[in-house]
Amino acid sequence: MINTPNFAGWRATILAEEDGNTDRLRRQLALLGVSASLQWLPLSPIDLPDLVIVDADRGWDELLPWPEGKPARPVAALLGSEAPGRIAWAIGCGASAIIPKPVSASAIYPALVLAVASHQQRMEADARVAKLEERLRLLPVVFAAINRLKTERQIDDEEAYRLLRECAMERRMPMEQLAALFLGGSKALKDVG
Amino acid sequence: MRDTAKIGILYSTTGPYGALGRDGWAGAECALHDWQAAGGEGVELVFFDAHADLSAYLEGARSLIRDHGCRNIVGTITSSARKEVIPLVEKHDGLLWYMCPYEGFEANENVIYIAGCPNQHLIPLLDHLMPRHGNRPYLLGANYVWGWETNRLARELITKAGGQILGERYLPLEETAVERIIADIAEKRPSFILNNLIGPSSYAFLAALRRLGEQNPAFLPENCPVASCDLTECELSDIEKGAAVGQLCALPYFDSLDTAENRAFKARVQAWRPEITHISSIFASAYAAVTLCIAAIQSCGSDEPMAIRREVTSRTWPSVLGDLVIDPATNHSALPFHLGRINAEGGFDVIASRPAIVADPYLTGERARPAPSLRVVS
Repeated sequence: MINTPNFAGWRATILAEEDGNTDRLRRQLALLGVSASLQWLPLSPIDLPDLVIVDADRGWDELLPWPEGKPARPVAALLGSEAPGRIAWAIGCGASAIIPKPVSASAIYPALVLAVASHQQRMEADARVAKLEERLRLLPVVFAAINRLKTERQIDDEEAYRLLRECAMERRMPMEQLAALFLGGSKALKDVG
Repeated sequence: MRDTAKIGILYSTTGPYGALGRDGWAGAECALHDWQAAGGEGVELVFFDAHADLSAYLEGARSLIRDHGCRNIVGTITSSARKEVIPLVEKHDGLLWYMCPYEGFEANENVIYIAGCPNQHLIPLLDHLMPRHGNRPYLLGANYVWGWETNRLARELITKAGGQILGERYLPLEETAVERIIADIAEKRPSFILNNLIGPSSYAFLAALRRLGEQNPAFLPENCPVASCDLTECELSDIEKGAAVGQLCALPYFDSLDTAENRAFKARVQAWRPEITHISSIFASAYAAVTLCIAAIQSCGSDEPMAIRREVTSRTWPSVLGDLVIDPATNHSALPFHLGRINAEGGFDVIASRPAIVADPYLTGERARPAPSLRVVS
């Protein structure tokens, strides 16, 4: 089931110079329940809005307070140009939806839905990658723990792995963390096996 | 006013929703007739028949705007046709007056919506049905955005209310093979059926379901009603006689509304064309749209669309749909909710009503006033 996206009560910052496009944008955002502020100055990293709409035709690198490709908030780009350089700039600031210029009312809600959904997916994917990288980094620790268990308890690979895993599950901690504790001399595996 | 102001009327009088187009056309003509009968002059209607060809709508709008100089166009029935026409209307800074129930999620500056969106029809309809019939419905829809989106929202609302959708099926506009759907409904026994089919598919379905009800009373309207937001008086004669009696529809207007204004309206229509025995919400809405457009042109002394828009959103307009208030933020009209039950005389008995509901096209919840409790009148 798809829930109806609702932006009522959200705060948006429009990074653009005021013109007919931003007028239409603000009108439509208002009726979507979004309170929007407009500025043509870099966005402060403190007290970020819920979403950002940036003029990608004229924007410069310092407008957004995050590293390239690492947006802290959903971004939609206002774009009239077809120049690859400007499209690349929009991608670089983390835009995952485009509101074409001249702005038409019907372009705004779909762009917000898309930007927010893509941002959410990106955050989830980033979190998953970070977790997997951490586990990958600690893989040698798990191997070392298994080897030590094999020697100490005269068991095979499979049994050592099972022991480590069951103990980790029991203590509700990742296997890597338990392996590190065990190697560090803790009595983490004392009661098991 | 220096020149005659021309209002374009754009409908299809043939094809699967031809009955609706003919009623919209007649409602527009009647509005002009009433206005002229009251001594009005300086406004002309220009008609274009798109004959249910989607690309002809664009061609029609272009002809109305460029060849005839119409800056206001009343019409289109389906959302597909409306979406087809809007870019051209925007480009020429015109105004489209749309007057059919639709699925919402639109608020265009160049459109005046005398047209209900889901918080004005579907949501109060489900509010009425679920406590009375249960929350395990079957969803049907025409295979385009109206059917898809209305059913998507119904699924969301019903699931959040703890209910369950027992089935969801779509039919192309002119498809009348409904046997598989009937068999599925017979097996699943839903608590009610939400019918967003259009035209011949809808009529075929209602007739087939009546036959099922004759074999098994569990499927008669009193036990498993079929409810829709788009079935009007002008279509009832196209349905097998008696087949739809007892089924429900939510609309902002019914011929049977018992108000002094409606009795006067019906008398005027009867005097104009005695053969019109039942006025549909399409007729009434087109009548209201054209009447309002003419009044705004008179009041502005011009048919310039942005002036017209300012004018129509600036005050309350008496109309056959009640006092119309058009929200300047959304260009949508607040509309009353009436629930009609089809009777044996080819009309609807109004069984529940709510006063005008402010349109909330994006369902933000911010535009809706606290909902008054439903007043059951029979």
